[in-house]
Amino acid sequence: MRFVLRRLGFFVITLWAAITLNFLIPRLMPGNPAEAMMGQYRGRINPQALHALEIAFGVNNHESLLRSYFTYFGNVFRGRFGVSLTFFPDQVTHEVLQALPWTLALVGVTTVLAFALGTLIGLLAAWRRGGTLDSLMPPIFVITSSFPYFWLAMLAIWLFAIKLHWLPASNGYSITDNVGWTSTFAYDAFKHAILPALTILITSIGAWILTMRNNTITVLTEDYVRMARAKGLKPWRIMWTYAGRNAILPNLTGFAMSLGFVVAGAILVEFVFNYPGVGWMFLHSVESEDYALMQGLFLLITVTVLTAILAADVATVILDPRTRDTR
Amino acid sequence: MKRGLLVLLLAGLAAIVWSAAGGSVQTARSAGGTSVTISNEQGATWTCGYNPFNASLVDWSFGPVYEPLVFVDELKSGAATPWLASKYKWSNHNKTITFTIRPHVKWSDGKPLTAADVLYTFQLIKKYKALDLQAVWSALKSVTRSGNKVTMQFKTAAVPYFYYVAGQTPIVPQHIWSKINNPVNFKDSPHQNPVGSGPFTIASCSPQVMKYTKNPHYWQKGLPKIDTVYYPAYTSNDPANQDLASGAAQWGSQFIPSIKAFYLSKSKDNHYWFPPVSNVSVFINLKNPILKNVAIRRAMAYAIDRSRVSQIGEYGYEPPANQTGIVTPTFKSWLNPSLAKQYSYNPTKAKQILTSAGFKLKNGVFQTKTGKPLSFTMINIGGYSDWVASAQIVEQELKAVGIKVTPSNLSSTTFDADAYAGKFDLMYSGNEAGGPAPYYELRQELYSKNSAPIGKTASSNWERYYNQKVDSLIEAYAATTSSSKQHQIVNQIEAAMTRDVPIIPITEGVDWYQYNTGHLAGWVTKKNPFAKPAAYEVPDWGVMLLHLKPKG
Repeated sequence: MRFVLRRLGFFVITLWAAITLNFLIPRLMPGNPAEAMMGQYRGRINPQALHALEIAFGVNNHESLLRSYFTYFGNVFRGRFGVSLTFFPDQVTHEVLQALPWTLALVGVTTVLAFALGTLIGLLAAWRRGGTLDSLMPPIFVITSSFPYFWLAMLAIWLFAIKLHWLPASNGYSITDNVGWTSTFAYDAFKHAILPALTILITSIGAWILTMRNNTITVLTEDYVRMARAKGLKPWRIMWTYAGRNAILPNLTGFAMSLGFVVAGAILVEFVFNYPGVGWMFLHSVESEDYALMQGLFLLITVTVLTAILAADVATVILDPRTRDTR
Repeated sequence: MKRGLLVLLLAGLAAIVWSAAGGSVQTARSAGGTSVTISNEQGATWTCGYNPFNASLVDWSFGPVYEPLVFVDELKSGAATPWLASKYKWSNHNKTITFTIRPHVKWSDGKPLTAADVLYTFQLIKKYKALDLQAVWSALKSVTRSGNKVTMQFKTAAVPYFYYVAGQTPIVPQHIWSKINNPVNFKDSPHQNPVGSGPFTIASCSPQVMKYTKNPHYWQKGLPKIDTVYYPAYTSNDPANQDLASGAAQWGSQFIPSIKAFYLSKSKDNHYWFPPVSNVSVFINLKNPILKNVAIRRAMAYAIDRSRVSQIGEYGYEPPANQTGIVTPTFKSWLNPSLAKQYSYNPTKAKQILTSAGFKLKNGVFQTKTGKPLSFTMINIGGYSDWVASAQIVEQELKAVGIKVTPSNLSSTTFDADAYAGKFDLMYSGNEAGGPAPYYELRQELYSKNSAPIGKTASSNWERYYNQKVDSLIEAYAATTSSSKQHQIVNQIEAAMTRDVPIIPITEGVDWYQYNTGHLAGWVTKKNPFAKPAAYEVPDWGVMLLHLKPKG
């Protein structure tokens, strides 16, 4: 209990530091949003109109840094992240919430799948070390993991979409569809997600397989496993309940962090597949110096990662009694 | 057991993929006869806003949803087609223009469009300066209405402003916009139901795709002939080009490298045309103490092989430009051919000019009398790979005559900031907006009132060219509607361009345009340039949509 409370306190302090840094860093970057706005409209806006927009927008107002900091803090807790420059005059929250479900669905599901499949394959490979599974799977997936992601994605598009016409080449859904919670739309969205998901899976699963395999091998040398074997327990039960549960613990924090980073989106995926997620939105906001959108996205990532780490810590405490006895 | 489990798992996964793929997969949407899909990569998803006074939203509504008073066709040297105004007349020595507003025009909500709406539109952009994208009120004195006529008084004779007030100002309904609290922040989203007079209304919009559908109340009877327009969002070029090549999109505004291999060869119905619209030039900072010397600038103009730059840097898509600054063949009636021929590629002459001006060659680079080398940096937009390639060729050719140029490829934000503030030696740019006659581009490039001192923001004329004679020529042009007088004036401006070489036009920037004639007819072609054909040209894309019809 004290452990959890300590962790919670840590979380709050880290969160505060993250919010402060989130406020400071965009302001320390070179360039300023007024110039960014001018460039955005490239010859289509005259200086007076631009000036009027700046005033309406609150850009270039000479408020003291401390004052803006407190305003910012207040706004964050009220969920007001301001108006986006690149999506003017839309609110940042509205834009992010539109793109987020796509990222969560695609990247979230594939991360969980990659973890689940990867640990499973790693476990099996370690259990039957030297067997057919072990000789094939880890090497193959480690090789595919080292492929540049976009190259593999483009190859997949060329093969499955252009040559074979099995799957759609891009987008989150067919443009002729109506967005909504209908089964046709869900099916269409699913079809469009297969290729991106498969390519993410193939490139990320290798890491999970290797780490799980190595952890399991270490665990298998432990005495309690030998004891379990001596007791005559079924092999898959030992693998699952004894070796597996202990081997997975180090991976949990890694998994939690990668879950947190899901909300950062997968920029390359979204670029190559023209997928409407948060990743390219992030890149775009940095390129156009859209402070409001950048801060909103940064904050989203930091909060999610921090929460995920907290959850991982708590989970470790629950799952691994050895971590409980701390003073 | 475990192996069986794994095999089962993989088999299950394969089954899911197979069944999903097994159904008829529509990767190439057929044009369906009554819809058109546009491929115009913006590098962003849609905001789903349609406020035509917002510079980032105007492209999606001005044309199909909102319309101008008169349609001005740049590709026919400014030929004017009365649109929401049925006729117009200049008076008072070209200081006043009176528009008669067309009767029987309805807004998409059924209410009639009247002169009151036109008056309201101009008053709206006067009240909120942020909405006045074309800065029309810098020239207008007053706008009044009498019955079905709207009269606009300019501060001085302002014939070229016709393009901006009549051709580039979208007319909006008073009964909707007078109820909006803050039109600057007004999104005009599909939920708010944009009401316009144009041939299409917004059917739906999501970040991935915008869908327009026919306006049943449209004032041109029988039009439009197509029912739906799909405008998908592309965050990068490859999916956009792929959709064009496969026929999923029929109207493209894309830069497609190796267009023959990648697009034309995919179907006999794929065509393209790149009409030149404005110049891409080397801007020379005339406040730079060394570059002030006109001999250097003239030498540079002789040293550059424009056709080579066009061939290698732009895949031959952008024709080589000429020093007069007149874009051909679009504006060839304005061109002075003898002036145009003056600066053809001649590196020997370039070196001669430099030597006779007193520069000495040392270690392959010319030096001034005080020993300063002719060495400059040229800024460029790093993201525009074709400009970067073209600039490299220019740099090589200048090096060959003893002028050293170092490239500096910047992000577009930094580039724009440096351009506006005059923080450069040389600049490779084609960011002028142009207009329906060469006057517009030349005015942007040469009129001193557009410029500003180094360090302050100049909206155009970034090279800081200050010439009173040229200024008076530009102002004289604005005072006349006589075509012969206008041609005389432009001739003199061309002479200034060749004499002073303030900028060196290298290639002619084009409208990117691809079209598929499989299911649709009525496209803009070289023989029939009834509008600027790129989907990003406003309000021209609305006019193109009006001409499209199912084939056969």
